[in-house]
Amino acid sequence: MKIHRCFLAALIQAAFLTISSPAAHAQEPATDGYVTRKEYEDLKAQMLAMKKELEALKKEKGEVSKQERLESHAVADVQKQVAPKQQTAESQVTGDMHKEVVAEAAPSLAELEASLLGTTKFLLAGWAEGMYEQRNGQVSTFSASFNPIFLWELTPKILFDGRLEIEPSGGGTNVNLVNAQISYLLNDYIAFGVGEFFSPSNVFVERFEPQWINKLPDRPIGVYHGVLPNISVGAQVRGGFPIGPTRADYAFYVSNGPVLNTFDARTAGTLDFNSYTDNNDNKAVGGRVGFLPIPGVEVGYGFETSKPGFQGTTFADLQALVQSVDLEVTRDSDLLKGRINLFAQYAWSHVDHAVYDPDGSLGFGPLPLTAKRDGGYAEIAYRPTKLDIDFLRNLEMIFRWDHLSADPSGLGDPSETRWTLGLNYWLSPSTVVKAAYEWDQPNGERNRNALFFQTAMGF
Amino acid sequence: MIPTLNRSLVAAFVVLFVSMGLSLFAEPKNAHRKAATNSSGAVSSDSYMGLSGEELWSNNCMRCHNLRPPTMYSNAQWDVIVHHMRLRANITGQEQRAIVEFLKSAK
Repeated sequence: MKIHRCFLAALIQAAFLTISSPAAHAQEPATDGYVTRKEYEDLKAQMLAMKKELEALKKEKGEVSKQERLESHAVADVQKQVAPKQQTAESQVTGDMHKEVVAEAAPSLAELEASLLGTTKFLLAGWAEGMYEQRNGQVSTFSASFNPIFLWELTPKILFDGRLEIEPSGGGTNVNLVNAQISYLLNDYIAFGVGEFFSPSNVFVERFEPQWINKLPDRPIGVYHGVLPNISVGAQVRGGFPIGPTRADYAFYVSNGPVLNTFDARTAGTLDFNSYTDNNDNKAVGGRVGFLPIPGVEVGYGFETSKPGFQGTTFADLQALVQSVDLEVTRDSDLLKGRINLFAQYAWSHVDHAVYDPDGSLGFGPLPLTAKRDGGYAEIAYRPTKLDIDFLRNLEMIFRWDHLSADPSGLGDPSETRWTLGLNYWLSPSTVVKAAYEWDQPNGERNRNALFFQTAMGF
Repeated sequence: MIPTLNRSLVAAFVVLFVSMGLSLFAEPKNAHRKAATNSSGAVSSDSYMGLSGEELWSNNCMRCHNLRPPTMYSNAQWDVIVHHMRLRANITGQEQRAIVEFLKSAK
């Protein structure tokens, strides 16, 4: 019985093996080393397709490599251009080109720098000052001003110059426009200007008015405070030209003229030059001619003629004439171990005869008057620039006489004559510390002597 | 009396200035020119009336104010400054160019 069970188990096992063997053959068909024709053809087609695909990839890779090599060669050439020492014979031409480019670029660097700043040239110049004044009969006071000058050179022929005057006053700050002029250089000898400018008839305001140039703390009364115009609004033509070994210069202008004072007894007949808008259609005409016989010496004559009366009044046809003569001498002297400056200017004004307040309605007329006024100054300065001691070289001594006649009506300010002695110390060519004492004795009044301390800087 | 006194004062100053001027200019002219040339050695090629750019700079600028050193401003700033001063002092175009050339070369 036991044998029968073993036989039956063997028989079942054999049956399983018999049943399971076809399935095993179906999963591993080439286990016996043979393939069907169809399998062979499929495999062959796949292999050929793969071969073609491989060839295509190789070709594509080859082209990419070639391009990379070309690019790397180009980079190497550029590097050789940048480093001329590593130039090969092939890159010699490129090196020469590099040199040419560098040679052309070198001068253009300055141009490039200039072009970055623009083609116009701008400069903020000017001057500033601070002063202490103690005058007899008046309250002592400090004062200060800042005077920026704006210069724009649009082209080498066109220039704008404008100047402001900014100063504290009372509880605020005064800002005045002093200059605003556009000028054009026609040629070496002629320049035109239009706008607001220092009056060419008054050489003091044109050349010596800035406080770092004016050698004393205050300005001469004769030419700065009444007889001559300081600022004109109009147009001018000016220049200089050689006459053999000498030189002459000129400036002529047309401008809004002065205004004749007619309403006040004290100032009747005087000219108000501080009104920059005109009071009639008649324009003032003026100018100055100068002559320089030798370097450092100039003599000049200035004038302005105008009709200063208000249009439509009895004063409309009155003629006014102001004239001025001036002398400037600057000389370095070995004999005096220094530099001497001599400046002198004297001016006269004349207004035709008229009757002021003819009907007495203003309370001081009738006042018949031919208004005349005059004033001027003379100044001498010495600076021992040729001495060996720095401290002494920076000192400068100044003496000035200045004068202004009485108001023409005889009812206003009396004549005034001042004598001023000054001592300056120059901290730099354009920075000065000034000390001065002024003897001021208006005719018939008590003295107005004054002590000044001032620092001024030009920039 | 007062006008007479004023006229006398003016006349006295005129005489004083003229006499001092004559005494000063009695010195040899070459002495000044030599000093001007020696101080920097730079002489403008664009001379005018026999004066170098340095002499023109010295003569024209010092008539009114102290000389500022050439190094104080850039070349472009000197262009503007001398242009402005040409208008103010009535110097010629030739003088302007000679002065600018000197100022730029003297740095």
